[in-house]
Amino acid sequence: MKTRRRFLQSNTSLIALPALESLGFRRFASAATPAAPPKRLVFLGFGWGITTETWFPDIKQTGKDYTLPEGLKPLARHKADFSIVQGLWNKYSNEGHWGSTMWLTGANRFAEPGQTFHNSISADQVAAAKLGMDTRFASLQLNGSENAEASGHGPGLSMAWDVSGKPIGGHKGPVEAFHRLFSKDTTPIEQQKAMLAQKRSVLDTVMENAKAMQRGLGKNDRAKLDEYFQGIRDIETRLAKDEQWIGVPQPKAPIPQPQEGLAGKEEIKIMYDIILAAMQTDSTRVLTYRQPVSTLLTSIGIKVAPHDMSHYHSTMGEKLAASQQRDLVQSELLAGLIDKLKATKEADGSRLFDHVALAYGSNIRTEHNLDNCPTLLTGGGAGIKLGQNIVAPKDTPLCNAWLTLLHGIGVNAERHGDSSGALKEIVM
Amino acid sequence: MMTRFLWLFLAPSLLLAADPAMPEKHRALFKEHCVSCHGPEKQKGKFRVDDLPLSITSVEVAEKWQKVLNALNSGDMPPTDEKQPASAAKADFLDDLANVMVAARRTLGDQKGVITMRRLNRREYKNTLRELLGVEINVAELPPDGGSGAFDTVGSNLFMSANQIEQYQALGREALEEAFAWQTAASVTKKLHYEGETTTPKVRDFVKYQIDARERAQKWVNAVDEAARKPENKEIVEKIRAEVNNNGSRLRREWARIPGAPNPRTFGFDKKGENDADLANDSLGAGWLKYHEYYIGMPGVDRGAYLGVQTRHPSELNVNYIELLVPFDWPVGDYIVRVRSAAVKDAPVERRFLDFGIHARTGKVLNTFEITGTMENPQTIEIPLTLTRGNLTRENRSLFLREKGSWDTNEEGNRKRAEAVKRNGIGPELVLWVDWIEIERVPNATKPVPPGFAALKLPLDDKSPAPAAVELRAAFERFATEAFRGTPPPAEYVDRLMRLYDARRKAGDKPVAALKETLSVVLASPMFLYLAESGSPSFTPDLLPKEEAGEKLGVKDEKQKTLSGPELAIRLAYFLWSAPPDAELRKSDLSKPEVLAAQTNRLLDDPRSEGFLTAFVHQWLGLDRIDFFEVNRALYPRFDTGTKVAAKGEIHETIAHILKHNASLRDLLKADYVVINRVLAHYYGIPGVKGDGYEKVSLPKDSPRGGLLGMAAIHFMGGNGERTSPVERGAWVLRKLLHDPPPPAPANVPAITRLAGKVLTTKERLLAHQEDPQCASCHRKIDPIGFGLENFDAAGQWRTEESYTALDANGKPDPKSTKRWPIDPASAFHKGPSFTDFFSLRDIIDTKSDAFARSFSEALIEFALGRPIGFCDEPLIDDLITQASKKDLAMREFIHALVSSKEFHTK
Repeated sequence: MKTRRRFLQSNTSLIALPALESLGFRRFASAATPAAPPKRLVFLGFGWGITTETWFPDIKQTGKDYTLPEGLKPLARHKADFSIVQGLWNKYSNEGHWGSTMWLTGANRFAEPGQTFHNSISADQVAAAKLGMDTRFASLQLNGSENAEASGHGPGLSMAWDVSGKPIGGHKGPVEAFHRLFSKDTTPIEQQKAMLAQKRSVLDTVMENAKAMQRGLGKNDRAKLDEYFQGIRDIETRLAKDEQWIGVPQPKAPIPQPQEGLAGKEEIKIMYDIILAAMQTDSTRVLTYRQPVSTLLTSIGIKVAPHDMSHYHSTMGEKLAASQQRDLVQSELLAGLIDKLKATKEADGSRLFDHVALAYGSNIRTEHNLDNCPTLLTGGGAGIKLGQNIVAPKDTPLCNAWLTLLHGIGVNAERHGDSSGALKEIVM
Repeated sequence: MMTRFLWLFLAPSLLLAADPAMPEKHRALFKEHCVSCHGPEKQKGKFRVDDLPLSITSVEVAEKWQKVLNALNSGDMPPTDEKQPASAAKADFLDDLANVMVAARRTLGDQKGVITMRRLNRREYKNTLRELLGVEINVAELPPDGGSGAFDTVGSNLFMSANQIEQYQALGREALEEAFAWQTAASVTKKLHYEGETTTPKVRDFVKYQIDARERAQKWVNAVDEAARKPENKEIVEKIRAEVNNNGSRLRREWARIPGAPNPRTFGFDKKGENDADLANDSLGAGWLKYHEYYIGMPGVDRGAYLGVQTRHPSELNVNYIELLVPFDWPVGDYIVRVRSAAVKDAPVERRFLDFGIHARTGKVLNTFEITGTMENPQTIEIPLTLTRGNLTRENRSLFLREKGSWDTNEEGNRKRAEAVKRNGIGPELVLWVDWIEIERVPNATKPVPPGFAALKLPLDDKSPAPAAVELRAAFERFATEAFRGTPPPAEYVDRLMRLYDARRKAGDKPVAALKETLSVVLASPMFLYLAESGSPSFTPDLLPKEEAGEKLGVKDEKQKTLSGPELAIRLAYFLWSAPPDAELRKSDLSKPEVLAAQTNRLLDDPRSEGFLTAFVHQWLGLDRIDFFEVNRALYPRFDTGTKVAAKGEIHETIAHILKHNASLRDLLKADYVVINRVLAHYYGIPGVKGDGYEKVSLPKDSPRGGLLGMAAIHFMGGNGERTSPVERGAWVLRKLLHDPPPPAPANVPAITRLAGKVLTTKERLLAHQEDPQCASCHRKIDPIGFGLENFDAAGQWRTEESYTALDANGKPDPKSTKRWPIDPASAFHKGPSFTDFFSLRDIIDTKSDAFARSFSEALIEFALGRPIGFCDEPLIDDLITQASKKDLAMREFIHALVSSKEFHTK
């Protein structure tokens, strides 16, 4: 243990600090006011897309003066505060039932020769690597409480994929999410510490080995081995962050504990409140929510099966009606969330809305159509154009939009997924 | 590199230059067109060319020349209102400058023979675990290696990160789980047999159901129609008709609104929560009933199954493929799959092929077999198959059999099916028949225990008492020594392992769990992950004769160290196996030349040499393009998935054949034989393949096949799956065969737009390259070779005619615009010999075997030493070629010359 501490001190100053002096804790414990409110990034995804004919504004009416289409009517009071972006897609997507798997990654599932599935890091995780350093949770992944397949989300444990393209787990439903955020960690502190100690012990062991090896090496090779040392240091940094939060009490929940068994519309509504609460308490700054679609339909009395609904083109009738009704309810829920984002004040008196970048959409337009992915952007956090119907050239990478949001919240990624550059159409 | 200038077409003034330099003659262009603005008086943009040295010896000078190159290529300079250089002079200038820049980058980036220590790359890591623990694990989650054009063995490009360290531990854990599973299941036997005729009653029942449902649906339709006709319903029916555009089936979907119309459910249609009327409407059509009736009327359906096309959704009825799910509780291990199959008597030759693979929907084809068995005398195929812990889900443990190419994609399946319906009103004829399929586990009890386990000597289950500390410590030491390829672990390290194990035990782990966890740390330790070479302990630079240490290597670096015996064994094994040395190699005294030669041959004869061959060939010849795109199956229906797999295999199998028999490298330029399997024999129309695998077959005299330029996969790569790309092909030939790589494609060259939308032959279109000096400087070399290969279509078949159809405003092919033309392969090398057709082009290339040998040698050196080629390697390259030339460029001679070189023995 001693060796590692010395090692840490010699290499970075931050992680050698005693845990209780860490930035996150100090702010939390003393409620000192931070200088400027932090930026947040939120992705809300629904699997089966929308109704093409009645959700998208007319592509001829670009800019501010466009007629709000039927499916977005419930958002009318926020018309100046969100933009619809048309013409975006993930060019590699080829699965008509995967509304969320590659939505935030833009990956080519066949990129790895010989493998039938490959994914890459999702935009939220790119942001989390930077925005997540000072909060208890680097990011939070929320899921609907139902089976994600039924809602057209496709493979994945949430919408988030890590740096090596592996799925990241998420919390199912509001109760689980609430507990994760606001209930006391039930693992005894001793055990948490023991687990950490063990991870460190592994690092100490490989470090011992690296040092032994280093002795026989020339200058060049030592430089190469430094990469390994740097890797160990990075893991140490992560562990040090985990350690900071051991025993730090959870914040007091600004909302009551949700009821058990909520489904569909009610579930989404409460989940939106939890997203808000997570940001209010600065528990995390990066959130994704894979919304339920199947139970949303049942909860509003629609009997059409969700997949069938998205195939309304062949029969129209009740499938089309269901699809349109779904659009309305989803828009209504989103409008409610925007109301609350605007009403919530940050410590400096500004609106939470002004510090959030929120994207709402799906990789599926409708049926098995994967082009012109429905995309609604809102919040002032990324400093993009709001209040407009924006029509990008057909088949512009959706990842250009994600890259622009990342830039807007201060994450200077060079590229993301298959991006070809920032989406200049939304840049102010 | 120098020799690139020796051969063929380059300006002679470059020939003797030690540093890459622009020929003096080009100063003229500067003087005439540049100096007035960028000279001593005016220095526009603070840029002067008059004092720019012709010889590029520093990065600064290189950057300046790069600016000149960019400005000329983009057409920015000279400004359009100024006098322009003559096209020919400009093209020559650009040609020389682009090549000099490539040479300069190489000189300036020369690592001077220094080999950077490297970690195991992804392949080697996988192979190393296999050799240690006896298991194959999926390492796809590790980041891919290489890229940037270098081999994946080049140490300076192999990086390490925090995530990777964690992944190594996780993968190590996974490998240990897998290995323990193999060891504990060593003697397990399993067998599953599936009779083809299991399908038959399902089809029979489905036919009955379809007929019955059609009848019921008709009754329901009549009843709804009757209700709709009632005068009192007129108003509502008219309203509905307006809503549904007077569509009959959509009207019936609204039956509930028509008083008196019966519920489809009373006619037995229940669509489980969706609109029951949809099911009734669908049943009315009884889709593919005729095909299903045809199926059950075939002879032999009581004894087996036919492989047909997709008709209904496979979950409803599947007559397209046979699927066999390996039970989830079967352990990992080696399995053997057997299939008894036949083709009907009048089956056309091209439809006698059977695909075997995993997961029919994603269609990963593993093998393709030609079915020669008859209904009277079926044949039995045996396919070895290894199942690992990676084969956990249905997606990777359901085996399938399907007629080759019958349903690779929905689009392709639909197309073939529709063609047949047009012809016979039913669907594709049933020609392939499967009696049964079975899978059996081969116990691995007789296999030798993998060295990692042999070293451990500990109980592998928790039934035995926990090992004592002394025992455990010794086991860790032995295991780590084995994992570290013979280097014993430092004592402090073993102490730490012991502490880790104890901590796990205290935390409640059983002994085996604690053991696996601890061993996984060994597999993430740097001594396992890195190939460190510190040199022989007894070595001092003085011992090495000066002329060898300095002059031969072309570098005065006294830090060059001779490898120790074990280090040499490791380097040799990772070169020729991409895996660690085995016990025999470790024991061998490789300082004796005859031992080294014998061991080299033994390694090359061992199946593990596939690790070298596959990776090397793939990277050397740039085969990743094969997987870049799909072929347009409407244009090339015969190039299906099975054929593509076989075509790719031909490249590897041919080079494996040459290596095995120590044949000449020349055989890759031109040969009177091919190494093909039955799939390709059929594709090429070459008879004579006897077995199920690849074998050598002699070619008829006038065959265009034989050598790399006769291979379908090579030509497929030189196109986009739809049309050929003479540019891609020409550049590939220059790069890989003629050792005259064109410079990288320059950025920002203005596109030639005046031909857009015109219908032209490929040659006419490409000749436009010659008009523009920016394009001509490279394309005058590249394009002619591509023209000579135009007889091969985008799927590698021989053709004598080509056509082009422009797209109309809606993006659809416009048949009126179609233009056909005979292929005209005649052309000439730039400033070189001319050729009349593919055969004479091939003959010219065949005379350049020295250039090809150089390309091969450079690749081999870079791959083996794990560093880029530098100027100091020229003597070594010459050595390899000289050695090999003594035996007509026999492939192994290159390898022998390399492994006995000073470079291979030093660090």
